[in-house]
Amino acid sequence: MIKWNLTWDKGVGLFLIFAVLLGSVLSDNFANASNLSFVLRDVTEFAIIALAMTFLIISGEIDLSVASTLNLSSASLGFLYRAGVPFEMAIVGGLLVGLACGLFNGYLVTKLGLPSLAVTIATLALYRGLSYALLGNQPVNELPEFWIGIGYGRIPGTFIPWSTILLVVLAGVAWFVLHHTRYGRWTFAIGVNAEAAKFSGIPVQRTKLTLFAMTGLMSGVAGVVYTLRFASASPDGAVGYELSIIAAVLFGGVSIAGGIGTMWGVIAAVLSLGVIRSALQLAGFTANSLLIVSGALLLISVIAPKITETLRTRTRAESKENIKKTIREVGNEKSTP
Amino acid sequence: MSTMKNLFRAREMPVFLALVLVVAIAGIANPAFLSAAGAIDILLGVAIVAILAVGQTFVIVMRHIDLSVGSLIGFTSFLIGDLYAQGYGLWGGLAAALGVGLIVGAANGFLVAYLKLPSLVVTLGALYIVRGIFNDYAFGRTITAAMVPPEVAWIGLNRLGGIPYLFLIGLSLVIVSGLVMRRVRAARDLYAIGSNPAAAELAGIPVARRVFGAFVLNGAITGLAGAVMLGRFNAANANSGIALELIVIAACVVGGVTIAGGSGSVWGAFLGAILLQAITRTIGALGIPQFWQQAFNGGLIILAIAFDKYLNSRVKTTTIMGSHND
Repeated sequence: MIKWNLTWDKGVGLFLIFAVLLGSVLSDNFANASNLSFVLRDVTEFAIIALAMTFLIISGEIDLSVASTLNLSSASLGFLYRAGVPFEMAIVGGLLVGLACGLFNGYLVTKLGLPSLAVTIATLALYRGLSYALLGNQPVNELPEFWIGIGYGRIPGTFIPWSTILLVVLAGVAWFVLHHTRYGRWTFAIGVNAEAAKFSGIPVQRTKLTLFAMTGLMSGVAGVVYTLRFASASPDGAVGYELSIIAAVLFGGVSIAGGIGTMWGVIAAVLSLGVIRSALQLAGFTANSLLIVSGALLLISVIAPKITETLRTRTRAESKENIKKTIREVGNEKSTP
Repeated sequence: MSTMKNLFRAREMPVFLALVLVVAIAGIANPAFLSAAGAIDILLGVAIVAILAVGQTFVIVMRHIDLSVGSLIGFTSFLIGDLYAQGYGLWGGLAAALGVGLIVGAANGFLVAYLKLPSLVVTLGALYIVRGIFNDYAFGRTITAAMVPPEVAWIGLNRLGGIPYLFLIGLSLVIVSGLVMRRVRAARDLYAIGSNPAAAELAGIPVARRVFGAFVLNGAITGLAGAVMLGRFNAANANSGIALELIVIAACVVGGVTIAGGSGSVWGAFLGAILLQAITRTIGALGIPQFWQQAFNGGLIILAIAFDKYLNSRVKTTTIMGSHND
């Protein structure tokens, strides 16, 4: 018989199904092509960054600068394009800026040994400030039609936006690397106990540096997608995304203490939040209810495992008690202590 | 003599010196910066972050964090104006603000202290829930100057001997909390908890009760600080206080309150808040485009954390001979 434990990430998967059903019941406009494609497009940047953030949080670190990195990458793209660089090269420039942001975070954390929470609060301000320094007050709005079409359009004949293909590919790679490669196992090992990982021969600092660099690069990718979707590069985009992304990752069952989490739990969580947002909006709820729902889900995601854990240890304690009783009874018969 | 020596050894000294340096540079480049009006501008701007940084210090010192303060202060600043407009008076509004602050602080504290949930996740959840309830309550309404209790507006506008009352409120909070943090045993326990929670538990410190108490205290301070925010802006809307939490934490970190817990003081956090504000003003005074302001703040925070690490590593090498830093 297959033993099927209901873990949190599976619960989130079920929740996603529930959310889609709820959306379909609440509103007739939910399950049509244009809304589904809107939902998908709306979660893409979040999801791309969440993939990398999952690795980082599992390894016991955090990056609060992702939204600023996204925006700096977008601003650099716009800045380069305005300066006359071909658009394709400007995209590469934006991605490289994202990578550089991640490397800088990683350098400060791994080489100087500074706490990532404090470092990335600092670079949150730094990268945002550099966006303003690059673009000033003037957003770049005249982007090539072809690329905007890619950013906003769908695959002909379907409701699936082009950006979703990118997301699916990246998610597949992230899932494979996290759960089926050495790097993934290293990430978990570092999150469980960095000291022990170091003594097992895992290059802890180098792995962490790579994870920060990847998070920067993914934020850069999200920055490019963001620029194309809104057909604009502005200094004040994506403000406050960082906490929403972290909230989604945690809701997906990743432990903030590190060492625990699954990629598909996170993907289900990001999609659920997108679906719930759309469903609540269509059903006439305000954005406020979404805030309350997000917060409540986040709290439930840490409380629920705690409760099951407590219950489990209690049943274990009870069964231990039973064993002791049996031993005592048997012992009485055989008169051994 | 020894007090002088202690003064220069204090953790806060580098922050203070940096502040003097920044003000001196700005003053030389642009004498108008040192004028009374310039200084008052800084003091006025700093009051809210300084007050919240004091409350946050209690929490960070224990190796915890409270991200819900931005939502909470926004809510209570709106609430004070709204209840006043509905005829409950100033005291009704303040009581409600204190009540909401206590409830949010107690909820955070309960989940963190007794259910042992990670404070980052709990208070991030609280950030959303409080903001959601607040927006639902505000629902597109705004608090205009006419709805601000006149006492609050008066305090926001006036000065005592040239110093804004709002700043004096912050300063007195720092003086009282600073004394408490030095002298009162329960407050000293917070440092022990932050240095090593397990050891604190073994040493007989009621860790859960202290953690709970610190969150409740931070909630109460933040709740009442809503009045300061209302007095400062003379208005409030559903976006009040948004994203303030990270600025507050940045002020603490710049002021030497380390994220890893166990060290730092309310004085440091207070100076950190003033330093961040002074830098912002200095950039203006030096004629650097305002767009660079956030970048400078970010760079400054990195310097502060790196400097702090440097100080700590120096302490380590002098106390444990031959130990290396990794």
